[in-house]
Amino acid sequence: MRKVALVGAGVTRFGVRKASYRDLVWEAGKACFDSAPAVRPRDLEGLVVGSVMPERTAFQSHISSMAAEALGITPSALSARTEHMCASGTVGIRYAYAFIAAGLADLVMVLGVEKLNQPAADEAILNMGTGVDRDWEACYGLTAPPCFALAAQKHMARYGTTEEQLALVGVKNHAHATRNPNAHFQKGATLEQVMGSRMIASPLRLFMCSPITDGAAAVILASEDRARDLTDRPVWIRGTGQALDGFTLTSLHEDYAHWPAMKRAAESAYRMAGIGPADVDLAEVHDCFAIAEIIAYEELGFCEKGEGGGFVAKGRSDYGGEVVVNPRGGLMGCGHPLGATGVAQAAEVYAQLRAEAGPRQVPDARIGLAHNNSGMGEHVVMIYGREAA
Amino acid sequence: MAYFRAVDPFPLESADQNKLHEFYEYLAADRLVTTCCGSCRRLAWPPRGFCPECLSDHFEWVDLPHEGTVHGFSIQETGLPAGFRAPVVFAIVTVGGLRIFGPVVGADPVALRVGDTVRFAPIRVADDSKGLARHLVAFAPGARPA
Ligand SMILES: [Zn+2]
Repeated sequence: MRKVALVGAGVTRFGVRKASYRDLVWEAGKACFDSAPAVRPRDLEGLVVGSVMPERTAFQSHISSMAAEALGITPSALSARTEHMCASGTVGIRYAYAFIAAGLADLVMVLGVEKLNQPAADEAILNMGTGVDRDWEACYGLTAPPCFALAAQKHMARYGTTEEQLALVGVKNHAHATRNPNAHFQKGATLEQVMGSRMIASPLRLFMCSPITDGAAAVILASEDRARDLTDRPVWIRGTGQALDGFTLTSLHEDYAHWPAMKRAAESAYRMAGIGPADVDLAEVHDCFAIAEIIAYEELGFCEKGEGGGFVAKGRSDYGGEVVVNPRGGLMGCGHPLGATGVAQAAEVYAQLRAEAGPRQVPDARIGLAHNNSGMGEHVVMIYGREAA
Repeated sequence: MAYFRAVDPFPLESADQNKLHEFYEYLAADRLVTTCCGSCRRLAWPPRGFCPECLSDHFEWVDLPHEGTVHGFSIQETGLPAGFRAPVVFAIVTVGGLRIFGPVVGADPVALRVGDTVRFAPIRVADDSKGLARHLVAFAPGARPA
């Protein structure tokens, strides 16, 4: 397989945006092209768009062609949309990676976009129900919070994880987001504010959850030869893995704090990259809820199973610790525009490994990991490196 | 609810929309059933159109017990989708060795515990666009009255 690198990345402002779905496509595309002056739209051979529910939020399907036209791209090798709920963006990066690694394309953009906020707030939440099983789950009004609450309850009962430890994930990621001008939330949150925010699904309070956010992000992937031509600091894709335990809640491991698919996805990515968890300098993990980041520490191998609560409480996942987790502010601080999230994670790793992350720069970052999940049973992991191998 | 008539989150349950329509017909008659593979006799939840173990698509409907045990639950207090009112008690209930997801309706959320007995208590939801009744699996606190 050929080596593949990121050679450009751009992100829109995330938040409740006064912008249409197409506006967000334009913003992310322009930001990405602005970051890669050697690449023009007509140079791209492909576009993959990660987007979950434009049919419901923008009455729009046929997304990759719509976005290609908006951006002035005329794909000659690859045009596709990826939909995999919250992991759609990273799944799109894997598609583009595989095409380029296989020699079927040399230069491909991956763009993630979502316009989740609607004039009726409860409709925006209803739309999120399309990500769970209509016949057996969504029909009861199920969306993500009660599912992750089950995991949090189990983790607390089994390992003694506390509400304060869950809250500290929110405090850390909201603090990181204050240094990210594109984040949905930029004011930070104290422990008291997180612990006192309103209950969504016990024990998960508002500031332990990611919000409903609009946004888009784009990255450009290139084959080795093209990458070295286009930039002096390409960021290399070193490894990737994906694994699924199941779709419906009742098909997952009966211990809801145990996510075997995440461990398998990480092991595949580490093996391919030839590194281990101790080599990771920064990790963009899928903190859709605070418990998800705590379980991610464990399943990604940053600490032992059950130690995740103490890992955040002791500062081991913050600047000065063993691995900086969610330096851009995570899904809790930046927001979670589903299809855009995984691409925005890649954009953050790109900036960090090029030492362009400004006030949130992780010192001497060489290896970055990105993790997306779609529910508790489906996980995707990417490993990026400053060096090709 | 006129807005939701075309595509709402409730399954289309009738025979002209769904090969598993008998499941819903049993539900309307207060029976909880699932598919049992006619070849290897594996019991599935949710009901299946074919068996991934032996690939048979011959299945029988078998009745499940009307009592189960709460395996885990969470209560959503805010942020429910359009058309749903908080709080909702979402539960995983062990019924006849299967894990079944559904709401516990009429529960005192403060009193409910993992391990509690709950009973099958199907609910009627919005009619479909042709005006046909639709029912879903749900549970209520406590054992089934004798
Ligand atoms: Zn069978």
